[in-house]
Amino acid sequence: MLRFFLARVATAVPALFIIIALAFFLMRLAPGGPFDTERALDPEIAKNLRRIYRLDLPLMRQFWLYLQNLAHGDLGPSLHWRDFTVNELFAKALPVSATLGAKAMLVAIFAGAALGLAGAMRPGGIGARVVDGAAIFGIILPVFVVAPLLQLGFGLTLHALPVGGWNDGAWQNQVLPVTTLALPQIAIVARLMQAALRDALAMPHIRTLRAFGMPRYHIYIHALRAAFAPVVSYLGLAAANVLTGSVVVETIFGIPGMGRYFVDGALGRDYTLVMGTVIVVAAAVLLFNLIVDLILAWLDPRVRYESRPR
Amino acid sequence: MNESLPANPRRLATASRNWPMRASLAILGLIALLCLIGPLVSGHPYDQVYRDYVLVRPSLFAHPDAHETHEALEGIARRMRVGAETSREEGGVLHITLSAGRPIDPRALRAFERSDVFGPARIVETSDEGRRVSIDILLKRMVFLFGTDANGRDLFTRVLIAGRISLAVGLLASFVALTIGVAYGAVAGYAGGRIDALMMRIVEIVYALPFIFFVIVLVMVFGRHFVLIFVTIGAVEWLDMARIVRGQTLSIQQRDFVAAAEALGASAPAILWRHVVPNASGTIAAFLAVLVPRVILLESFVSFLGLGVQEPLTSWGVLVADGARNIQGSVHLLIFPALFLGATLGALQSLGDAWQGSPGTGRR
Repeated sequence: MLRFFLARVATAVPALFIIIALAFFLMRLAPGGPFDTERALDPEIAKNLRRIYRLDLPLMRQFWLYLQNLAHGDLGPSLHWRDFTVNELFAKALPVSATLGAKAMLVAIFAGAALGLAGAMRPGGIGARVVDGAAIFGIILPVFVVAPLLQLGFGLTLHALPVGGWNDGAWQNQVLPVTTLALPQIAIVARLMQAALRDALAMPHIRTLRAFGMPRYHIYIHALRAAFAPVVSYLGLAAANVLTGSVVVETIFGIPGMGRYFVDGALGRDYTLVMGTVIVVAAAVLLFNLIVDLILAWLDPRVRYESRPR
Repeated sequence: MNESLPANPRRLATASRNWPMRASLAILGLIALLCLIGPLVSGHPYDQVYRDYVLVRPSLFAHPDAHETHEALEGIARRMRVGAETSREEGGVLHITLSAGRPIDPRALRAFERSDVFGPARIVETSDEGRRVSIDILLKRMVFLFGTDANGRDLFTRVLIAGRISLAVGLLASFVALTIGVAYGAVAGYAGGRIDALMMRIVEIVYALPFIFFVIVLVMVFGRHFVLIFVTIGAVEWLDMARIVRGQTLSIQQRDFVAAAEALGASAPAILWRHVVPNASGTIAAFLAVLVPRVILLESFVSFLGLGVQEPLTSWGVLVADGARNIQGSVHLLIFPALFLGATLGALQSLGDAWQGSPGTGRR
């Protein structure tokens, strides 16, 4: 297990480095700069700005400096929000986004698994129909349609929940965003779970258990262990999808998370902020995939023995 | 249509009895037809701003109604500094008497023409030394089936124009993804060994990254530009295609006719083009049915963030974003584009599901 873990880390670290390098150089080669405004700056001022932010150094030296600071956990000063460092901006925004994303994932896993289980227990029953219907709606209604509809229904018509804002994470403010983020993932998880569980229930060892007259819950525990693998391996992708969806959800519900830095930073050529977001996103996804791999290896011994480091 | 297609006849025969597939085809055809013809017959250019009709609710009846006529008349009369009195209306023509303390300049009547409610005014009779003028005005008749947006543009036309863009982008970007994916997958599968392992490792890494990552990186390179949509979507969606085509290539190149071609001295590109790609084309076509709705969804996502299609042109994503902003009070701005987007995605999806029945096309 330890060997498997080390092998996975050994591939994740270079991947992160490549992503950082790629983002850094791509951004610098692109036209435009962080200090471009409607009116051209006085050349002297522009020169001073570039000197202060060390943008006048050779590119390789800048990259080296950036990596050195990164090793100390310093993401540098933001070029757009002049009085803030990227660390300070993230310190406020990251916990908000992380709360939102983690809750959405938890809801998606539990609700999806429960729905899938209900669907697989009785093929053709109500549960199965709900899963099929949910799967279609999860695809037809993208996040940016669901969010305003929920606002309209629960916020403006029923006056049950606030339409937007964060309010320091009060639960009323979290219900709608978390639901919106989780819904499409619930649909996919439920569908995967249902299909996997049906396959698992048809396996010979389950038939043997049935023949022995084992209690129902006992049979399902055995079937679930086999059925979890495809669901767990989807979770890596689900995390990436939740990350993308959270940009929309944060925009629509007016939540002060990371979402706005993604696009604004890129448009304003805020080099350090963009690098920060890229690193956070890539690290989060790589970390989550690592965890998923570990769970898979724990669930299924074949995974740990067969995938030796390439 | 079944007889004319040379594909597997049994599958198509069962498909034609399959009502979800028929229904989706009908919905798609209807939407495509509407998007093609609708803007030509709606009577409104997609970027025409009607300042007198901002955020009008959807209705089947023609505007202006009595209230709107009254409002518009009041407004114009105030600007002309005259008193206006409507005597009667018949057959879309309004008879109005204008009165003022001084002679009324006939040139000032052009104010009527400039509004969105009235046509040109015709003087019927002048009395009281020009202080009283009776005029006939033609009322413009306009129907806003889906209402108008916050700028006073006809939503019906805009939804259909948006549909043109969304569908076109969906097809084009799918084609981009298809080309890259097929080329990459075929090369990786055919080359095999270390090259294959390396190429697939790259696919795995890129696959793990969220879509928003590509949006960030490519926005830096292209800024807000139409091309962005194609590149971003192309950058993400070729991955599945590459995997599928690679798998197909691995099995196809085991076959005897590939060995024969190699023995005859055919070059690797020739074998890929003449033997591998045509034999994988069934699988590729089946996957395309899944790809197109995903691409349309991604396009609307990029446009929703304000990075894709720019005003006054529009796409379903832009319209939905607009509707989400105006949700307080004007729900029709959200409902209609969402309805079209949802219907298209749903129809494409169930079409793809029906097609997936063919072997070897399982989605990841």
